[in-house]
Amino acid sequence: MIDKLNIVKAAELLKKKEVSSVQIVKEYLNRINKGKDLNCFNEVSSTNAVKDAEASDERRKNDSLKSEYDGIPIGIKDLFCTKGVTTTASSKILSNFVPSYESTVTQNCEDAGLISLGKLNCDEFAMGSTNKTSFFGPVKNPWKSRGSNAELVPGGSSGGSAAAVAADLCTASLGTDTGGSIRQPASFTGTVGLKPSYGRVSRWGIVAFASSLDQAGPITKTVDDAAILLEIISGHDKNDSTSSIHNKEEYFKNLNSNVKGMKIGIPKEFRSDNLPSSTQKAWDDCRNLLKSNGAEIVDLSLPYTMDALPAYYIIAPAEASSNLARYDGVRYGLREQGSNLIEMYENTRSEGFGDEVKRRILVGTYVLSSGYYDAYYLKAQKVRSLIKNDFNNAFSKVDAILTPSTPSVAFEIANEPNDPVQNYLNDVFTVPVNLAGIPAISIPFTNDENNLPIGLQIITNSFEEQKLLNIAKNIEETIQYKEVPEKWWVK
Amino acid sequence: MEFDRETLLKLGKLARISIKDKQLDFLSRDLSSILKFVDQLKEINTENIDPTANSLNQNLIRREDEKSNTNNIEDVLENAPEKELNFYVVPKVIE
Amino acid sequence: MIDGWNLVIGIEVHAQVNSSSKLFSASSTKFGSSPNSQVSLIDAAMPGMLPVINDYCVKQAVKSGIGLNAKINKKSIFDRKNYFYQDLPQGYQISQYKNPIVGEGYIDIESKEGSKRIGIERLHLEQDAGKSLHDQDPKYTFVDLNRSGIALMEIVSKPDMNSPEEAVDYVRKVRSILRYLDTCDGNMEQGSLRADVNVSVNKAGDELGTRCEIKNLNSFKHISLAITYETKRQIKLIESGKIVDQETRLYDINTGETRSMRSKEDAHDYRYFPDPDLLPLVLEDQWIEEIRNNIPELPDQKKERFIKEYSLSNYDAEVIVSDKATSEYYEAVVKGRTPKLVATWVTGELFSVLNKKNISIQDSPVSTDMMGELLDNIKTGKISNRLAKDIFEDMCETGKNPNSIIEEKGLAQISDEGEIEKLVDEVLKNNPENIEKYRNGKIKLLGFFVGEVMKLSKGKANPATLNKLLKKKLDY
Repeated sequence: MIDKLNIVKAAELLKKKEVSSVQIVKEYLNRINKGKDLNCFNEVSSTNAVKDAEASDERRKNDSLKSEYDGIPIGIKDLFCTKGVTTTASSKILSNFVPSYESTVTQNCEDAGLISLGKLNCDEFAMGSTNKTSFFGPVKNPWKSRGSNAELVPGGSSGGSAAAVAADLCTASLGTDTGGSIRQPASFTGTVGLKPSYGRVSRWGIVAFASSLDQAGPITKTVDDAAILLEIISGHDKNDSTSSIHNKEEYFKNLNSNVKGMKIGIPKEFRSDNLPSSTQKAWDDCRNLLKSNGAEIVDLSLPYTMDALPAYYIIAPAEASSNLARYDGVRYGLREQGSNLIEMYENTRSEGFGDEVKRRILVGTYVLSSGYYDAYYLKAQKVRSLIKNDFNNAFSKVDAILTPSTPSVAFEIANEPNDPVQNYLNDVFTVPVNLAGIPAISIPFTNDENNLPIGLQIITNSFEEQKLLNIAKNIEETIQYKEVPEKWWVK
Repeated sequence: MEFDRETLLKLGKLARISIKDKQLDFLSRDLSSILKFVDQLKEINTENIDPTANSLNQNLIRREDEKSNTNNIEDVLENAPEKELNFYVVPKVIE
Repeated sequence: MIDGWNLVIGIEVHAQVNSSSKLFSASSTKFGSSPNSQVSLIDAAMPGMLPVINDYCVKQAVKSGIGLNAKINKKSIFDRKNYFYQDLPQGYQISQYKNPIVGEGYIDIESKEGSKRIGIERLHLEQDAGKSLHDQDPKYTFVDLNRSGIALMEIVSKPDMNSPEEAVDYVRKVRSILRYLDTCDGNMEQGSLRADVNVSVNKAGDELGTRCEIKNLNSFKHISLAITYETKRQIKLIESGKIVDQETRLYDINTGETRSMRSKEDAHDYRYFPDPDLLPLVLEDQWIEEIRNNIPELPDQKKERFIKEYSLSNYDAEVIVSDKATSEYYEAVVKGRTPKLVATWVTGELFSVLNKKNISIQDSPVSTDMMGELLDNIKTGKISNRLAKDIFEDMCETGKNPNSIIEEKGLAQISDEGEIEKLVDEVLKNNPENIEKYRNGKIKLLGFFVGEVMKLSKGKANPATLNKLLKKKLDY
């Protein structure tokens, strides 16, 4: 009964009292334990989760539920500060950090009665698209290529969040997306991943990577669940100056999968000869599907979107180089010895940060430095305006844009590119969305010839998440993607 | 754009990250590769385009001048690697 | 100008904003609390923390800008100034770089040649840093973040000052204006107001010389001494054929010299960029207008009014209005009284006592009512000016009001002619030789007789009456 549970189903079962929260939680904890090989979790809240479940069952008995989702367990990316629970950002420099405060997003979840099963592994400081940069080791994709035993990346940076949902180690999870870190791993693992509009969800208490790009969002099995979680976590937060005053919406209640009359844009710049034919076919099939369901397909051009990746790899590292300056060993986290202050700083940060983080800090420092600011940072911010403009123009013609989520399916963990830029190319389709601050969702469409999931991305204008979810629901209902990976990791 | 040793060491100093000799070469190579990649932007005409620092179309919201007493010394000192008499303690800067 | 050398001075004043909480966090700004007791998660730069701006601090900055006759910029941006230091928890300071909240303005100072206008480049808001204690331990520095995050207004002048006196007058004036507006308490000992001074010299006719910055001067005396020393140092260098290096220096209050800040490695590259945690600060026209309409009378206006209304001299008016509390004290006392008399007493006797006790006029031992009472007694002739000084001293010591003191000590002036005549007669009777000498031409001896009668009357004889009677009796 607890197999392949999602939030909606779990809520039903709990309501009908066919199962208790404690039963659900214990079953998931069991699975997490058996699935240690996947390395999804940095920390499992074995004791707390059961305690929370007991409290939920008690509330259910007393008819004092926090919400209809009270008692349902989820996983939390280890980037959200959780009170009393180690929050590491998958980095050595914070490996012992226990916050005395709770992020707004996880507090919202707690207020709805959701239970945390633990902190999910991710790329260090959310920098990466493979989950290989984590101090706690790589996460393994529950999916394996047909006929091969090679371990695959789940994508990143929210690799643990996506893998855990795909492997059914939790009903759903929370991740963050700065350049594609929710959508790309969702695409690699056959799950639904939603990046809300910038400002839709509070950033307070989330370890900052790139402040003007970061957004928290759900990774789920279904579009329904994504709508539910988005509802729970979104809303204005006065403690976050970049939080939108846009009203909260009832995304789940208002879900409507009717796409008749909607205009769906297909941007020509996302087409390429390098795209695997199965991905191209999925994109075409989806386009046709939407057309059959009553939508109008419109060819579009977004001329600057392919410039988004280089712009992103200037802006994100620049902001990160400044956001990560606080990790200096003075007030919390790792401190390495030094005979004077500068030595202490240098030893702490060199020892505490991994290679990718160091690379990005150095690049970020460079592009902001005197003499280079105009040519790099300022230039990138101007290109950002051009990209935003492209999307504004597009949305005056269409309701939504359909693209592939990623330029490939999941690849081998052992695959070591000989230059860091190769990894950056994983984000080519997702990054333009972050720069423009608009919402997008990745939904699993089909598996390729090697049985690896292919995700498709739908993009709408700012604060049009309802439309986004509606279109996603339409596709989901039509294709009925039911693939699940073989449980090779269960010991 | 090539990253020479000197530039790299200077950046390391600015970012307070020490770079060991043996790391210099491949770090230089990696960063040069990244910079070459982002250099593509030079081709784009951005004359008369305003930069976007934050995509949210909203002005800064201001709060009342109120003190809140929710944070106490324990919260900000409990994770300190070294502290004494409620001070943070660090090795001296050499003068 | 010193022997053919021009001195060019520009000043950056850092003024802590008077507010209950910090610029971007809700911690208290109170001075002198126990270490790290006023530090929030935001101030400590914990992971995931975000800044939220204090509306009152913005208002205070706008008020200050108006007081400095400056342009208020409706849209301004906050930037990050990136560098590492133990009392800078974020690893960057939130400041304003290219788009400050206040633009160009000016203030006028009184110099020997008359009024001089000093230009102001800009005023911007930024975070103050914490405090580092270096002398608690030979190997370690102790860090207190209480001050970290308090709002500072950085006021940058144009390089319009040409002498240490002008520099001090400028800072005095800025401080006075801010205190009038209540946007900064101007307490230099506590560090709520500090100045960084930029000094350069050039031969008359030549172009501007290289400037050196002397940081963190926190008293008028130090500002003056530091500039004087630095000027001499630079002139000496140039005259001996050397170059003045552009550098940042500190003033050593013990040696009276400025020295280079050796700990700075290469010049800081602050890598300013717009803070992505903060959106543009946009001020509403109406909001600004309301602030403008509620600006109190400022020193220059008050001085003009005092000169007109009270016929005070430029000098007296300048002295009285330089401090708002003093001008308020003055106006309370001067109601229905002689302005010049009040001015003399306030800037003379009262200031002298305040200086001796090292207190401000708000803590004056003599209230405005009591001061008024004393001056009334002088006016009516009940006491002489000289006696009033003694009574004033008594008032300061005992806190009693003048009428009580006069009553208790029987100090009321003797104005009755008959009574004075009796005393005059007695003195004259006892000093026949001096009467002879006086009548023979030694008219200076009048003073002697006056003194003797005063002694006899214990200082209470009305001087005018006494003089009249003495002359009458001596000049027959």
